[in-house]
Amino acid sequence: MKTMEWGFLIVNYLFLGGLSAGLFFVSALATFLYKIDEPSPYTRIARLGALLAPWPVMIGCVLLIFDLGRWYRFYKLFLHLRLVSPMSIGSWLLILFTLVSLVNCYAWLTENQRSTLFAKLPRGLAFFSKFNYDIDHWRRRLALAGLPTSVGVGIYTGVLLGAVQSRPFWNTNLVAQLFLFSAFSTGCAALILGLSGRETSAQELRLLYGLDICFMVLEFFIVLPYLIHGELSVQAVQDSLKLVLGGPFTILFWVFFLGLGLLTPLVIELRELVPVIVSNREFHYNRLLAASTALLILGGGFLLRYIFVFAGQMSAMQ
Amino acid sequence: MDRRKFLKFSVGGAAGAAIGASLAYVKPFGHAPEKEGQRVEIPTTCEMCVNKCSLIAVVENGVIHKLNPNPENPKSRGMLCARGNAGLQQVYDSARLKRPLIRAGNRGEGNWRPASWDEAFDFTAKKLSETKDKYGPQGTLWSSTESFQEVFFRNLGAAFGSPNQVRHPSLCLASVNLAYSLTFGTVPSFDLLNSKYIIMSGANRLESFITPDTMDLIESAEYRKAKLIYLDPRFTVTASKADEWYPIRPGTDLAFILAMLNVIVDENRYDKEFVANYTVGFDKLVEHVKPFTPDWAEKETEIPAKDITRIAREFSDAAPRAVYYAGRRSSWYREDFHMRRAQAILNAIVGSWDREGGMVPNGKIALGEYLFLPWDDPVAPRVDEMDKNFPLAAKGDGAYLKLRENVIAGTPYPVKAWMVHKQDPMNALPNQARTLEMLQQMDFVGVIDIQMSDTAWYADVVFPESTYLERTDPVEVLSGITPVVVYRQQVVKPVHDTKTTLEIAQGLAKRLGLSQYFDYTLDQWIAAQVKELPLEAPLEYLKKHGVYVPRDFPKYGSTLNAEHRFVTKSGKIELFSERLQEANYDALPVYQAPAQPPPGKFRIITGRRAYFTHANSTNNAWLNQFAPANSLWLNQSAADNLGIADGDRVEVASTVGAVRLQAKVTQAIRPDCVFMLHGYGKKSKWQRLVAGTGGCDTELLETAWDKVSGNASLHETFVSVRKV
Amino acid sequence: MPARPKRYAMVVDSKKCINCKACVVACRAENSVPLAYSRNWLNEETRGVWPKLMAASHPEQCHQCDHPACVRVCPTGASHHRPDGIVVVNEADCVGCRYCMIACPYNARFFREDKGVVEKCDFCVKRLDRGQLPACVETCPSKVRVFGDLNDPESKLAELLNNREYRVKKPEAGTGPQIYYLI
Repeated sequence: MKTMEWGFLIVNYLFLGGLSAGLFFVSALATFLYKIDEPSPYTRIARLGALLAPWPVMIGCVLLIFDLGRWYRFYKLFLHLRLVSPMSIGSWLLILFTLVSLVNCYAWLTENQRSTLFAKLPRGLAFFSKFNYDIDHWRRRLALAGLPTSVGVGIYTGVLLGAVQSRPFWNTNLVAQLFLFSAFSTGCAALILGLSGRETSAQELRLLYGLDICFMVLEFFIVLPYLIHGELSVQAVQDSLKLVLGGPFTILFWVFFLGLGLLTPLVIELRELVPVIVSNREFHYNRLLAASTALLILGGGFLLRYIFVFAGQMSAMQ
Repeated sequence: MDRRKFLKFSVGGAAGAAIGASLAYVKPFGHAPEKEGQRVEIPTTCEMCVNKCSLIAVVENGVIHKLNPNPENPKSRGMLCARGNAGLQQVYDSARLKRPLIRAGNRGEGNWRPASWDEAFDFTAKKLSETKDKYGPQGTLWSSTESFQEVFFRNLGAAFGSPNQVRHPSLCLASVNLAYSLTFGTVPSFDLLNSKYIIMSGANRLESFITPDTMDLIESAEYRKAKLIYLDPRFTVTASKADEWYPIRPGTDLAFILAMLNVIVDENRYDKEFVANYTVGFDKLVEHVKPFTPDWAEKETEIPAKDITRIAREFSDAAPRAVYYAGRRSSWYREDFHMRRAQAILNAIVGSWDREGGMVPNGKIALGEYLFLPWDDPVAPRVDEMDKNFPLAAKGDGAYLKLRENVIAGTPYPVKAWMVHKQDPMNALPNQARTLEMLQQMDFVGVIDIQMSDTAWYADVVFPESTYLERTDPVEVLSGITPVVVYRQQVVKPVHDTKTTLEIAQGLAKRLGLSQYFDYTLDQWIAAQVKELPLEAPLEYLKKHGVYVPRDFPKYGSTLNAEHRFVTKSGKIELFSERLQEANYDALPVYQAPAQPPPGKFRIITGRRAYFTHANSTNNAWLNQFAPANSLWLNQSAADNLGIADGDRVEVASTVGAVRLQAKVTQAIRPDCVFMLHGYGKKSKWQRLVAGTGGCDTELLETAWDKVSGNASLHETFVSVRKV
Repeated sequence: MPARPKRYAMVVDSKKCINCKACVVACRAENSVPLAYSRNWLNEETRGVWPKLMAASHPEQCHQCDHPACVRVCPTGASHHRPDGIVVVNEADCVGCRYCMIACPYNARFFREDKGVVEKCDFCVKRLDRGQLPACVETCPSKVRVFGDLNDPESKLAELLNNREYRVKKPEAGTGPQIYYLI
C-alpha cells in the first residue's frame, strides 16, 4: 500500500460512531441517576441523548458502506463473525448498538410524539400503527442493555487501529482508551450544545461539565504517556511519532487538537465548575461559552481521528 | 427562527455537507470475472532484440495471454527478459501500423491517407521505376536491419539492380567484427561461463542487454569465483557487480590493453607454445609494445599503474581461461578498430583460443538453401565506395555514415529513392539533422515497419508489417559456442491488415517485373532450409519444439592442430596483419590519445538499458513505465559548478544540435562526461509516450566514423550544458 | 509414511539480481495486472560518492506469511491461508474495506479501482496447478528466485536454507514472512 487507503469517509465514520456511543452512554448514565416515577433534573439529558444517539452512527454506517470497494456487498460482513478481526466484531457491534439505540430512542418518545409519527405513516404502512406501544418502563433495561454496546462501539474504533502491528503510530494499547474517552467527551459536548440554547438548569450542565471533565482528563492522561512512552520505545515507534513531533501533523496535533480541542475546553469547564465544587458557590454558566466549548470539543474529536487515520497510514510507508 | 431550529439546520447542514463531500469517494459497481476458455501453447522465437530467444506463447480464446520461456533453447537459458515478456503488447498496441499509408501533406506533417495494398504497391513501384529510369537502379538505396525475412528485402533490392544495400553493423559492431576477423579469420564467441578472468571495456552486459553472456557472466562472476574487471566511465549495474571497476578516461582503453601487452611480453607471461604454433608476427609485436609501459598508461587512462600491472599478471595466470571481452556495440571512437585489434592480440598471445573459458570459434549448423532464380550482379559500384574508403570492411553491410555523406553530396552519383526495412535511421544514425537532409533530398521514401517510427513519420509510403507473433519466418541458425536452429511460427493471425516482408517484396516484384525471382512460397523456402537437418521430420519437430539443439556442441580445440588453416592471409592467427599494412593502416595497434572535451564542455556517451531495444520499444507501455522519460546524467561536482540541481531543465548543445531535457544529478558518472538514454524525444506523434518527451540523443551526436571499418563513432561528441 | 503437506516459500538470491524488470512484466502479463499497479516490485539501493559507489537491487512481493496480519483482520474471511501456505483473496467475498492493505507490513497489496477488490501476489496459483513455476521465478535471466516446498528436504529451497545465511524482511512485525533473502 503506497497510497492512503482510508480517508475522509473513515474519519467521519469514526467521529460519528464515537459521537453516537457518547450520546448513548451519557443518556444511559442520566437514566440511572433517577427513578422512573420521580421527577429528575437529568431527564432532559437522558431524553436528548436517547433521541440523538442513533442518527450519527447510522450516517456513519452509510459512509462506511460507501467506502467499501464494492458497497453492494456490505451484507457479506454479516455472513461471517471472525473474532480475530476487529472489523468483524465492530460490524456486529455496530448493528447491535444501532438497533438498541433505535429502540431506546423510540422508548423516549412522548405519547404525542409517537402519535404524530404514526400519523405521518403512508396509508399502505398504516398497519404499523399497532406498534404504537408505550415502552417507557423499558428505558432502564434498554440503557443497561445498550451500555456495553456503546462502550463497545466507542472502544472498538480504537482497537481497529491499535491491532495493526505494521503501523507503529497506532500499535499501542492506549489507542482504544483514547478513542473511547474522546467519544464519550464528544457525546457530552453534543449534549451541552443541544441544551445550551434552552432553559437549561444549572444542575444539568453541572453533570455534563463534570462528566466531560472526567473524560477529558482521562484523555489527556492517555495522550501524555502515548507520547512519552512512544519516544522511549523502539525506533519504529519513535520514527512514527516524528509525524507529530516536527512532521506534517505537528501543528494540527499540538495547536488544534491538544490546545484548542482538549486543553482549552478543559480549562474553561474547570474554571466554571471548580469554584462551585470548592466553595459551594452557585453555578453560573455562560450559554455562549458553553456552546463554544462544546464546539471546540467536537472539533477536537474530529481532528483526533483525522490525525490518527492519516498519520497512522503514513507511519509505515517507505 | 428560534435557536433550536437554527441548531438543527446548522448541524444538519454541516452533516449534509460532510456526507456530501464524503460521497465523492463512492465507487461504481464492480466488474465481472474473466472466463477461462480454450488455451493453446505455441513455441516460437522472440524478435524484441537480436538475441532471438525461444519462447512459448500462451493463447487463450485467440488472444495472446502470456509469453513463457522455452526451456529447450540453451542459448536463452530458459528465460525471457522484460522485453520478451512485453512482446505481446506489439500485437495489441492501438498505435501500431494497421494498414498501408500514403503521405498526404508534406513530409513530417503526419498527414496520412490510408491506402489499399494495391495502391501502395503501384505507387511505390512507379516511383522506384522512375528513379531507375532517371538515375539507374543504383539510384535506389535499400537499408535494413537484420531480421528473419530481411533476405527477401535485400534480394528485392539486388534483383532490382541496386548495389546500395546498407545494414546496421556500421552503426554497431563493424569495428569489432573486422578486428577479430582480420586477426583470427573469424569472429569467435566468448566462453564466459568457464572463464576465470574477464576484462570488459564497456560491454555493460548486466544492464544494457540480456544475452547468454549476461547470464553466464552472473554465474561465473558471482558463483564460479571468476574475477570481473570492468572499465566504464559510468557506474552501471555491471560496475556494481564487478570485482574491480575503473572509471577509465574515455577513449583510452587501447592504452590499457597495450600496457597489458607490454607487461605480459616483458615478463614472458605469454603462451609460448601457442604463439609459436598458431600465430605470426609476435616478434614485431614485442618491439611494438615496448614503449607502452603501465606508467605511461596510467597517465592516459587514469588507472593506477600498479593495478594495470597486477591485472596483466592475473590475466595471464588465469589464461587460457582468461578473456578480454570483445564487446558488441563498438561504435565508440575513430580509432576503435585498433582497440579491438589489441584485444584480439592480447587474447591470442595468452592462448585463450578454442579452449574452455577462452574465445571459441562459432559452431556451424548447415541449413539448406532454396534455389531461387539468380539475377545479374549490380553493375554500378556502391555509392559509399567501400573499395576506396574501407577496402577491408564487409562490403555487403556498407558504411552508413559515409554513405549518408555521399548521398547528400550527390557523389559519386545521385541516390534518390530509399526503401527501409525494420530500421529507424532517424534514431539509429548520429546527427539526425543530416539524416533528415538525406531523406528530404530523396524523391521517394518507403518504409516497412510495425509502428510509426520517426523515419516512417517522414516517409512517403508506409507498409505495415505483421509482428513476429503474427507471422511465420524462415528458419535461422543462432551461431555461437552451442549453435541452435530456431523456428518462428505464427501464433495468432494478423490482427490488422498487415503483411510479411516476403509478401511485400512479392507485391513490389510483380509490379517491377521481377516476379520470376520471387515465385516461391515461404513454405517452400522453409522446406528447402530444413531438409539438411539430421531429423526425421524436421518441420514437425520445429513446430513442436521451436528449437533444434544439436548434441555435439560445445566443441573445443577443433582448430588447434597443425592441419588447420585460419582464414587469414598467412593461414595463422595474425598478430601482425599484412593485409592491414598493405591497405596502409597500422598493422599493429598504434595509440592515439583521444581528444578531450574543452573546458566547460563534456563528452556525451551513449548506452542502453535492457528494458528497451534501442529506440524501437520505448513506446511500449509495459516497458515505458520503467523509464517514462530520459534525463541528462551529470556528475554532482559538475552540476554544482554549473548551478544545476537534480530535476532542473537543461539544454545540451553540440555543433549539430541542441535538446532540452531534465538533469539527473548523480554520483554514477565521470565529471567530464554526460549521458542520456536512447530512444526519446521522438518526432512521430503516433508514439505518444515518447513523442516530444525527453531528449533525442541523435540530434546531438556528430558525424564521425572509424577509419578502418567505417563504423560510426558515437562517443566523439562534446557538448555544453546549461540550465534553462 | 504420510505425505508431508506442502508449504510453498521462496528464496531470493539478491546478488544475482540485475534489476532488469523481467519479473515485473512477466507478472503483469500472467495475471493481467493493469499498468497502474504491480504485484511485485524491485527495491533499489545506491550509496556512495564518486568513485566509491555501491548499487544493489532485490525483488519483493507478498511474503505469504505464516501468521498473516491481512488474514487475521479480514472481516469476511476473503483473505485466507491455503493449506500450502499461499495467502489468497477470494474475490467473491472481498468487500473492499482495505483493512488488509493497512495491516500488511510489506505494503504488498493494492486496491483495484476497476474491480473494487484487493489484489496481491498469489505465487501464480493457476500456474502451480498446471505444474509450472510462478511467472517471476521462471522468467528471470539470472534465476534470482528459487521457489519450492519448505517441507521437501530434497528441494533446492531446503538445500539453500540449510547451507546459507539468510534474512527476512521486517521480522519484528511478527507475521512470519516466507521470502528468504540470502545474505
